[in-house]
Amino acid sequence: MLSQNITQQVLHPNSHEDMCEQTSRNIVLPKPVRIKFEKMNVLKFISHLDVTRTMKTALTRAGIPVWYTEGFNPHPKMIFSLPLSIGTESVCEYLDIKITEPMSHEEIKTRLGAALTSDMAVTEVYSPKMKFQDIAYALYEVTPYEPYDLSVLDAEKVMVKKHSKKGEIEIDLKERIKSIEIKDGKIMIFGRADQLNYLNPEQVMALTGCTDHRIIRKEIYNERMQIFR
Amino acid sequence: MISYKILKKVSKPGRYIGGEYGQILKDKKDIKARWAFCFPDTYEIGMSNLGMRILYGSLNSYPDIWCERCYTPWEDMQKEMKENNIPLYALESGDPLDNFDFVAFTLQYELCYTNVLTMLDLAGIPLMSADRDESCPIIIGGGPCAYNAEPVADFFDVFSIGEGEEALPEVTRLYIEMKDAGTYTREAFLHEAAKLEGFYVPSLYTVTYNEDGSISEYTPKYDDIPTKIKKRIIEDMDKAFFPEKVVMPYIETVHDRIMLEVCRGCYRGCRFCQAGNLFRPVRRKSVEVLNQQAKTLYENCGYDEMSLTSLSISDYPYLEELCDTLLCWTEDKKVSMSLPSLRIDSFSKELMDRISSVRSSGLTFAPEAGTRRLRDVINKGVCEEDLMNAATIAFGGGKSLVKLYFMLGLPTETNEDLEGIATMAEHVLDAYYQNPDRKKGSKPPQVTISVASFIPKPFTAFQWEPQADLETLLEKQQYLGSCITNRKIKYNWHEAKVSRLEAVFARGDRRLSKAILEAHKQGMMFDSWDEYFNYEKWMEVFASVDIDPSFYANRRFGDDEVLPWDIIDIGVTKSFLLREKKAAYEERPTPNCVEKCSGCGANKLGGENSCCPKI
Ligand code: SF4
Repeated sequence: MLSQNITQQVLHPNSHEDMCEQTSRNIVLPKPVRIKFEKMNVLKFISHLDVTRTMKTALTRAGIPVWYTEGFNPHPKMIFSLPLSIGTESVCEYLDIKITEPMSHEEIKTRLGAALTSDMAVTEVYSPKMKFQDIAYALYEVTPYEPYDLSVLDAEKVMVKKHSKKGEIEIDLKERIKSIEIKDGKIMIFGRADQLNYLNPEQVMALTGCTDHRIIRKEIYNERMQIFR
Repeated sequence: MISYKILKKVSKPGRYIGGEYGQILKDKKDIKARWAFCFPDTYEIGMSNLGMRILYGSLNSYPDIWCERCYTPWEDMQKEMKENNIPLYALESGDPLDNFDFVAFTLQYELCYTNVLTMLDLAGIPLMSADRDESCPIIIGGGPCAYNAEPVADFFDVFSIGEGEEALPEVTRLYIEMKDAGTYTREAFLHEAAKLEGFYVPSLYTVTYNEDGSISEYTPKYDDIPTKIKKRIIEDMDKAFFPEKVVMPYIETVHDRIMLEVCRGCYRGCRFCQAGNLFRPVRRKSVEVLNQQAKTLYENCGYDEMSLTSLSISDYPYLEELCDTLLCWTEDKKVSMSLPSLRIDSFSKELMDRISSVRSSGLTFAPEAGTRRLRDVINKGVCEEDLMNAATIAFGGGKSLVKLYFMLGLPTETNEDLEGIATMAEHVLDAYYQNPDRKKGSKPPQVTISVASFIPKPFTAFQWEPQADLETLLEKQQYLGSCITNRKIKYNWHEAKVSRLEAVFARGDRRLSKAILEAHKQGMMFDSWDEYFNYEKWMEVFASVDIDPSFYANRRFGDDEVLPWDIIDIGVTKSFLLREKKAAYEERPTPNCVEKCSGCGANKLGGENSCCPKI
């Protein structure tokens, strides 16, 4: 759908970026919009499904002209980036929607922001530049509240068990860690974050012997280490 | 606020975090009275309660009153709280309950009583009203079970009887005034509260008993408090407080939808139904007000589902008009609409078409009894033809699931009545196959029979009736099962043991407080949850405090006996209920209130936009 829309823009070079493009037959084409938001503090305890439900009602409260899927049971088309595990906070969650009527990015940001609590603040709204499939890495900031020992990660391989659809499998955590460094008493964990290889920072911390901590996802990147947009 | 370390360890931590969109926060320095409104069950259940949504909004509409929410923590969380010395707290401020001026409990069903004690205990508040001192909050109860709250009377300081949206702010005003004037003591306040209409202070009434265990009398301790507590009603529903905002839960709850309250009360007079009498007289909202409120709620919640609520929605005289008005915009906004509790005798093709225009998989009907005779006894004025008509329309409209609700163990019931239930279900199935309009290739039909046991409830024509004993109830369940031979008919029944315990508490008196206290001491809680309900343990508890549960559940109460709930005046008179009981045994139906007023007495309470004759 994204590429379709780009084609449309090429065909109608005059259309304003923040406006819905219209074809000559006057059919409004849904226009993709990316919403960057946070999931902070107590919201680390709510699931991805809860976020979805909350966003759905919030979009309605905010009066955003969201594009609905067709069919028997129409629902607003919403695609989220990289799910966040329960227990982790984030300042870089992304939601893609499409809008069916003109509304400026600024207005979407203000309206949606007012329909959510500050723990789920909307920080940016723009036209997507990359695809969710491009996401390759994520950076986490860990504040430890108890002693930890990173030396376990010095080994060549760090095998851990993981639940998967095929039952329990063993994976090498090291393959998924790009780097770990300590900055101002905080542990910055850089890990893989694509669909096949996803590093759960909580798992890393468990190995270091520290289970009381705060983890915030700070940024996500593509394969070329460009900040996701 | 509760530490994350603890929340990480418990199941469904989202229950305990608060912070939802729509929650009301206030600056403590502007506040003169704080309420902790407790729903004695889980967050998911409590958050779905319409009454609590209304009262939360109503109390918070006053700038000097702040009302917060609290629910029963699940057992794992209770354990963590105890181990870490965390007292039960309200979700908005995170402050412990004993910091509040009022701690309120809404009593929606009898089996929540042990949870009330669980919550008081977690809050570190003395369980018995008599043990509370000046530093303790006022513990106040309300909701349907407060109409006979005698079994929990010892744990509460005061009960609010009837509709609370005006009453609760009023009692709070009294509290604030007494505090400001320096005249406040618990005792003085409770005495003054007892003089307000609709407030029952159980400690101000002494109960004496006869030798046979029945009640001799209730004596007020002061001359200036009423001998009977009259329930409060909202006279004009169009002008009643309406919560424009709703707290939007993050986690999934039982009813994540707009609940539009269309009317209060019910025109029908089913003789087993307590709610029908408790909420008399019927008062309804106008279509314009409802449409406006629905829009406001939609804009403020963003839910894509709306259900119209009322005890008997199809009796709302302007239902067609209301549906038309609402559908005008809900279809466009993709909001689905549901109408619960449709009565089969008022079920029309037009209504059916409207419901099928939104999502709906099946239909439910509640004939309650299997034969015409028994339906006349209970005054459920529906006949089999009505059901067949409705089923035919439903099947023609593409539905294939029909759910039928019945009650078992009703007064005068015989095997023939039970057989009638099975026959009725068969006839519904036949209607499917005989229906020329049925959609070919659609799912095979399924009829589900769902059976509950009859519970004699206070303020009904059957309040004097004994509940069939457990053995008889089980036999009846089995017999009905043996009558159902068709595999397309599914048969569900409620656990009879649960119904028996409910019957004990429903008609209980103050002496039951000791059983509930003992049950709490033995760690009992969440009795309404299958995984917690333990009938045998309850029987042991009753035995240990020398209480015979059959005295309450299985005894025929005398017509002139003083009933534990006689202290409450719900408008509907005892003499009317006695007349109704007589009519039941004569198998004589009573017309509904629209056809003819039967003089139940509820009209003396007033009420706008109702069908009652004005006094
Ligand atoms: S007063 Fe008459 S019309 Fe009103 S509820 Fe009672 S019986 Fe019905």
